[in-house]
Parts: sequence; structure tokens; C-alpha cells
Amino acid sequence: MKTKKIIFNKLIEITILFFIILTVLFFLFRAAPGDPVSRMVDPTLTPEDIQLLIAQMGLDEPAWKQYIIYIKNFFSGNLGHSFHYGEPVSNIILDRMPCTILLFTTSTLLAAFAGVFLGKIAAWKKGSAIDNVLSIGALLCHTLFIPWFALLVLWAFAYKLGWFPLGGIISPELWINDTSFFIKMLDVLHHMFLPLLTLFFIHLGSYLLLMRSSMLGVLKEEYIITARAKGLSDKVIRNKHAARNAALPVITSVGLSLAFSINGGALTEQIFTWPGIGRELIFAVSNNDYPLAQACFLLITAVVLIANLIVDLLYAYMDPRISY
Amino acid sequence: MALLKVENLSVGYKSKKGMVNAVNNISFSIEQGRSLGFVGESGCGKTTIGMTLMGLLPENASILKGDIIFNGNNLASFNDEKWRAFRGKEISMIFQAAMNALNPVIRVDEQIAEVIQIHNPAMSKSDVSNQVKKIFSLVEIPEDRLRDFPHQYSGGMKQRAIIAMALACAPKLIIADEPTTALDVIVQDQILKEIKKIQKALNTSVIFISHDIAVVADVCKDICVMYGGHIVEKGTREEVFKSPRHPYTKTLLGSYLTLDSYEDINVPEIREAPDLITMTGGCRFSANCNCKSQKCQCQTPEWVNLSSTHQALCFEELLNKDKND
Amino acid sequence: MKKIEKKPEHRNHYIERFTKSWAIFIKNPMGKTGLIILSAFMLMAIASFFVPLLGPVYHPMTGADPNITYSTGPSLQHWLGTDFIGRDLFVQLLEGAKVAFIVGLSCAFISVVLGTAIGMISGYAGGIVDTILMRIADIFMVLPSLVILLILASLWELSIWVIIFIIAIMRWPSVSRIIRSQTLSLKSRPFIEASRVAGASNFRIIFKHIMPNVLPLAFLYMTFRVTSAILVEAALSFLGFGDPGQVSWGMMLQWVWSSGHMFQAPYWLLPPGICISLLTLSFYMLGRAMDEVLDPRLRKEEEEE
Repeated sequence: MKTKKIIFNKLIEITILFFIILTVLFFLFRAAPGDPVSRMVDPTLTPEDIQLLIAQMGLDEPAWKQYIIYIKNFFSGNLGHSFHYGEPVSNIILDRMPCTILLFTTSTLLAAFAGVFLGKIAAWKKGSAIDNVLSIGALLCHTLFIPWFALLVLWAFAYKLGWFPLGGIISPELWINDTSFFIKMLDVLHHMFLPLLTLFFIHLGSYLLLMRSSMLGVLKEEYIITARAKGLSDKVIRNKHAARNAALPVITSVGLSLAFSINGGALTEQIFTWPGIGRELIFAVSNNDYPLAQACFLLITAVVLIANLIVDLLYAYMDPRISY
Repeated sequence: MALLKVENLSVGYKSKKGMVNAVNNISFSIEQGRSLGFVGESGCGKTTIGMTLMGLLPENASILKGDIIFNGNNLASFNDEKWRAFRGKEISMIFQAAMNALNPVIRVDEQIAEVIQIHNPAMSKSDVSNQVKKIFSLVEIPEDRLRDFPHQYSGGMKQRAIIAMALACAPKLIIADEPTTALDVIVQDQILKEIKKIQKALNTSVIFISHDIAVVADVCKDICVMYGGHIVEKGTREEVFKSPRHPYTKTLLGSYLTLDSYEDINVPEIREAPDLITMTGGCRFSANCNCKSQKCQCQTPEWVNLSSTHQALCFEELLNKDKND
Repeated sequence: MKKIEKKPEHRNHYIERFTKSWAIFIKNPMGKTGLIILSAFMLMAIASFFVPLLGPVYHPMTGADPNITYSTGPSLQHWLGTDFIGRDLFVQLLEGAKVAFIVGLSCAFISVVLGTAIGMISGYAGGIVDTILMRIADIFMVLPSLVILLILASLWELSIWVIIFIIAIMRWPSVSRIIRSQTLSLKSRPFIEASRVAGASNFRIIFKHIMPNVLPLAFLYMTFRVTSAILVEAALSFLGFGDPGQVSWGMMLQWVWSSGHMFQAPYWLLPPGICISLLTLSFYMLGRAMDEVLDPRLRKEEEEE
């Protein structure tokens, strides 16, 4: 019952938020210098096609009507036509979406689990050699400049050692020939390894540092002394009594750092030519493909909002004290 | 034979300025089924005694000398492994509920079940849960609140749950460190009754640590008054509270407001805290004592027997001098 | 009369507090390392003002060496080598340090001023004002700044100052949240209550009593904001949407990448990346050390050990 209500409230909240962003974007695209029509409709099309699209998007109507049509179009999945690809934008982003989700969730989850695990150990052995190595390593990861680190990874593992492909998500020859699903999967994993590695290390640092300091705080709590007074073993105290409490702020931070992760994700996709939304956005912006850029932006925002919702729910599930 | 016998125990904390002698050369003993109270102001070392008996001293603290004989074992020589098997089973501790002593993200029954499980690995799950239910009924928590999280409990219920946790393995000795300090008076009274009842029912020994004289007087038959890491006076509660002899005990009792004495209450003036680092050998209370003599500063006071059960750490002539006043 | 007497005492108090904090700060190995690295970068930034005086060849943007038409490795004449049209990489690196400082510090300054003001108002006013301001903060918090900058870059050509301003706008909410909770706890302290009873205006209470108490915290957050601002600006430049008239480390990486030199010219690829990472690291270390100075709980623990 409680959970249902939380989900419902949160859903309303993010819907309103999304609406605001949608509206701001609408005005931004009309406030920018130049002809808004030429931004919405590919100028290289035939005059008849241009007229058709203008009518469809209501670009000859007054602003408030345009806005209504814009919202209507958005919710019916009509996001305009890409200049570059010459197809509906929705087709393109639906095609890119899975790649981004795959890379993004895998790297975030792996990094969060590893960060929590290593942060726990570092805090438990505070001041030891392990702690120092982990803390300094995490600090370096945390302050690395993402594209540069990605280029180094690419240079070392793909160019020098040649263990992994330089980019992309698949090797075309495998997909033209009829190979088994398993081999195709392996091929995708092979391509995914380097971008995954990059994102993993970049996220790992902040999660580890956060878990470490959170765990150090928890270890000073009274209930840890209680646990010791019960005669519990160190392992049980560390994993059951301390780590669960200490991981809570890390979950919140996963939510708060999603925006940061998206930035990193876009850069990583760009360098490893991973065909995701982030790379598509950068491409669209570079080529003045406005409808595509707008759609990518909205989609990324939607992903961030939904991911935030999931994180909030996870937190509510993990911390019994939360009741919205 | 006494259940617990502490002899010449000294505990020190390492600090930048030197070794802090939080507990200095104290001896006491407690029989099976008896209750012993420690009173004193904060910083007098009473909590350190509790932590020492549980083997829970922080890393910068250590036992400097002395023996702790519990049931024939010397706890002072225990290693981590031995302590782990011992804690919670033979001696357990009642913590202050207000201090977040219950883990907020684990259900209360689970927090109690795990004590039983760790000390009785052979016990089946259903036996453990039956045992938990039994203990809960003992401390009078309704059974339908078993699966709650700590934050759903009131302050008094949390304290009951903590008592239940301490009782889980039927220990021979329970150390209660300020168990009622943050509770309101009515709840405090209930909890104290609970502790007395349980102690009688299980014939457990209780060491009760508090700064609140009324609470200690309510629960304990024997009293130790502590000051600056020393026990300065010990005896039965009647002896210590009705006819206090040590100057510090008198000051402590003088600061306590009772209805019949409110007119001529003498609230002690702000005093110097005792120096626990430099060991002058003199009486630690001498700086604040109002009946001191020259030798208090440099000579170590000795135990003066006042009756077969009543003793004070002072100089005999001073105790007598004060009596004549 | 009374006021005049009081003032020097106040000043002494602040100086004393500062010297005490400084003593703790400088003892901290993290703070010391951070400060040393930071000083090195400051020297680089200062040097960048003088290098172009050596001659037009040493201009970071336009100063191509006429004898060189391809990227060369380190030499006596060009310490770090040149890029693909013969511009000196070391000069560009110095110029990048200057830009990074400008971007980082001004961004952090704007966002911290904004965040502190909003946080104080929100915490002090409470009620509906608080709710609205914090909802707005939430919105900004979930938006990915680089993506926003990209979409804006598609519509406008962004100059360096516009970029700085947008990053600052994106970055105030987390500062606000911290300052707000600090204000909330200050608000309930007796001395605020006392001055309200004494008839002080809200304005006076905020500026006289709350602000001095939240400023150290705001300053701490400034160091963390600096790092994120530098990283975002560098990322934007790297993607090719930075200020086209301004050489920066991100742009150097953009050039090495887009001109296809990334696998051939490590002398070109490595320095800008190392600089960005080291500079953000030093600011981060500085912040952590300051955190320890400001948090007496942490400090005490250090003393005990």
C-alpha cells in the first residue's frame, strides 16, 4: 500500500518536472536567433514536403497553438524528422536507446557494487596499506578527466595491445553471416568492454570514497558497540550491522550523481563510437540536426528522471525509517 | 565464592598528553544474584569499568594492571576470540536506548535472535524464535511488535528491547550503563521495576552504572562511589547514603535535591576537574575537598574500615575529624 | 563608544580563528600537497601572460611556427612540441592553465554566491518559499549540465563567459542544500532568537548572524565547485563546442583527437589530460583538508590518534 502511494506521488512529480523541461525547450528553440521553421524542418526538402511538415507541426500557427501541437505531437511519438537521416527521429532514438541503457546500467551497477565493497574494506582497515592504496586510487579515479582517460584506455588496449576493437558495438561481418546468438553476444561484450571499463573506473572512485566515509561514521555509532557486546564476529558486524547502514547514502548519491554519470556516458560513447543516445546528441548538435538533438535531449532527461525514481524507491526499500 | 572479583584494576587511555588513568587501582566483588551500583559524576571512570568488563575498550585504551576473575576465568588475559564467545553469553550489557543502541535497519526480533544464534549455533530456527518470544513476554513487549523496526518503538519500548537483548542468553552478570537516563520519570520507574523483577526471577547479578543517586539507590543493595578513577567509598546502600563518610560522597549527596532538604541544600561550587594524567600519589579529590590536610596532596590515602561492609578511601583522622564537626 | 571598543576584538577573533585553522590545514598532508600542486598551476597561469611577449610565434592561438607544417615532438625551441599547424604546445598548455583558473574560480564564485544566498533565504524563510526554492533546486540537480550545454550550443555560439555562467547556474543547488540545513540549525540557536527579541530585522539577522557562520562552509563548497566547473568546460571544449576564440586544455585534446594524432603524438595527448586531472585533484585535496579544519569531529579524531 505504502509503496504504491510512493510510486504514484513520485510519478506525478516527475511528470510535472518533465512537462516543465518540455516547455522550456519549446521556448528555447523559438527564442534562438534565426528562423525557427528552418530549425524544425529540413531546408533541403522539396517545397511541398516543407509545407506538409510545417502544417503538421503547426509552425504557421500562433505560438500558443504551436505549443499545444508540440505537446500533442510529443505524446503521440511524433518528434519530427531528422535532417541527416531523413527518417522520423523516434525511429532513430528507439534504435540507440538500448545501447545506452545497456552500457549505462551495467557500468553504474558494477561500479556501485564494487565501490560499496571496497569502501567497506577500506573503512574497516582504516589507516592500513590497503586503505591507503584504495583511497588514493579512488581519489585519482574521481578527479580523472573522462575523455582523456577514455583516450588512454583506447590507446593502450585497442591500439597498442589490440585486444579490443577501436569502437562500435558489433563487427558487421559477424552479423551479415548467420552466426549463433551466443557468438553475437560475445561480440557485443567484446566491444563493450573498454567503454564499460572507462565508466566503471570513473564511477568507482566517488562511490568508494563515499562508502568509506559513510562507513567510518557508522562504525562510531552506538549500535556497533551493541553488536560487539553481543559477541558477534567481526564479519557479521561489518557486513550486516555496519555496511547496510553505510550503503544508504551511497544509494542517494547514485541518484544525485546520475546527471554527472550521463555527462560521462555521453563522452565515453563519443570516444568509443558506441551508438548510444549521448553520441547521437553530440552528432546532432555538431550537424545542426535540431529535431534529433531535441529528441535526444528529452530522452536523456526522461532516463535521468526515471532512474531517479528507481533510486528513490530502492532507498525507501532499504531504509525502513523512510515513509514519505 | 564471588561471581566476579576485580582486584587492583587500572585502565588507561593513551592520549597526546600522556596516559590518562581513567580507572585507578580499584577492587570490588559481586556475589551471584546481588546488585552493585556505581555512582559518580561524568568522567569518573564508571563507564570505563563497564566497558572493561565487556572487553569493549576502545583501541587506544588498555588494562594497565589488575585481575578480573569471573567464575574462575581471568578476563584480563582474554584474547579477542575468547571475548567473542564470552560477551553476550556470560556477561551482557544494557545500553542506553536514547543512544541509538538498536540498529535502525534491522528488525527488532532479528537483533535479539542473532545473540541467541551466535552463542547457540546448534539451536534450530524455530527454537530461537520461541526463545525470542519468551524473552519479549518477559520484558512485556506485545508479540505483534516483534517484527517492527526500532524507530516504530517508543523510548520505553526501545529500552525494553535492549533489556531483552541483554537477557537473551541468560547471562550470569548484566551491566547496566545509564539505562534510564533519557527516559521520563514514569517510564524510568517502569524500567527499573522491570530490571529488579528480572533480576529476582533469573537470579542474575547486576552492575548498575549511573550518575543518578536515586536510581542506584532504588536498584542496588551495594554501592561504590567513584571519583577521578578511584572508588572512594563502598558499602551497603544504607551505609553509604544514610551515613556517608568520605567528603566526596557527602558533596555528591549534598548536591542532590530532596523534598525535606530543599531549604538548606548546599549546591557544591564549581570545582576543578581531577587531573588524571599526572600521578602525584596524593588524593585526587584533595583540590576540591573542604576538609583536607597537608598530607592529602602527597600521600596516598588508604582504605579505612568503618564496618564489615563499609569502607572509605581517606585518612582516618580526617574522617573522624569531620565526624566531630 | 561601545561599538568602537568591540570592533578590534572581533577582528582579532577572526584573525586568531584563521591562524588556528591555517595551522591545522597546513599540517594536513592532503592540504599541503594540494596547495603545492595548485601553486605550480598558478605559476603556469601567470606565465601565460608573459609568453606571447616573446614574439608572435608564441601566441597560443595564432602563433604557428612558419618552419613547421606538421606536428613535431619536443625540441629545444618547442619544449613540448607543436601541433599539426606548428603552434607551440607548451604555450597552449600555459594558456589552458589560465583559462581553467578563470573558468573554475568564476564559476565556483557565482554558483556559491547564488547557492549561499538562496540557501540562506530558503532556510531562514521556511514555509512555501523554502518549498518552492528547494523544488527548483531539485530540478536543476537532476539535469545533466553537459547535455544542457550541448543543446544550448546547438542554438547559440557560446562564448567562454556564457559557458561559465550556465555552468554556475547548473551548480548552485547542492550548495544551497548544505547552506539551507546549516541555516536551519542556526535559526534555532538561542543567539538568533535573542537578537530577534532585541528587535533586529530579518535582513540584519541574515547578514550579521547567519552569514558569518555559513561562510566557511560556503567557501569549502567553492573548492568542490571549482573542480566540476573545470571538468565540464573541458568536456565541452573537447567535444568542439567551447569558445572558439580561446585555447583551453579541453580544446587541445579536441585538436589532437580530431586531427587524428591521438595514437601518434603522446607528447600532445598526455600533458593537457594530466593537467586537467592534477588541477582538479589539487582543488579536491584542498577541499578535503578544509573539510577537516571545519569539522571539529574529524579533527578531534586525528588528535586522539
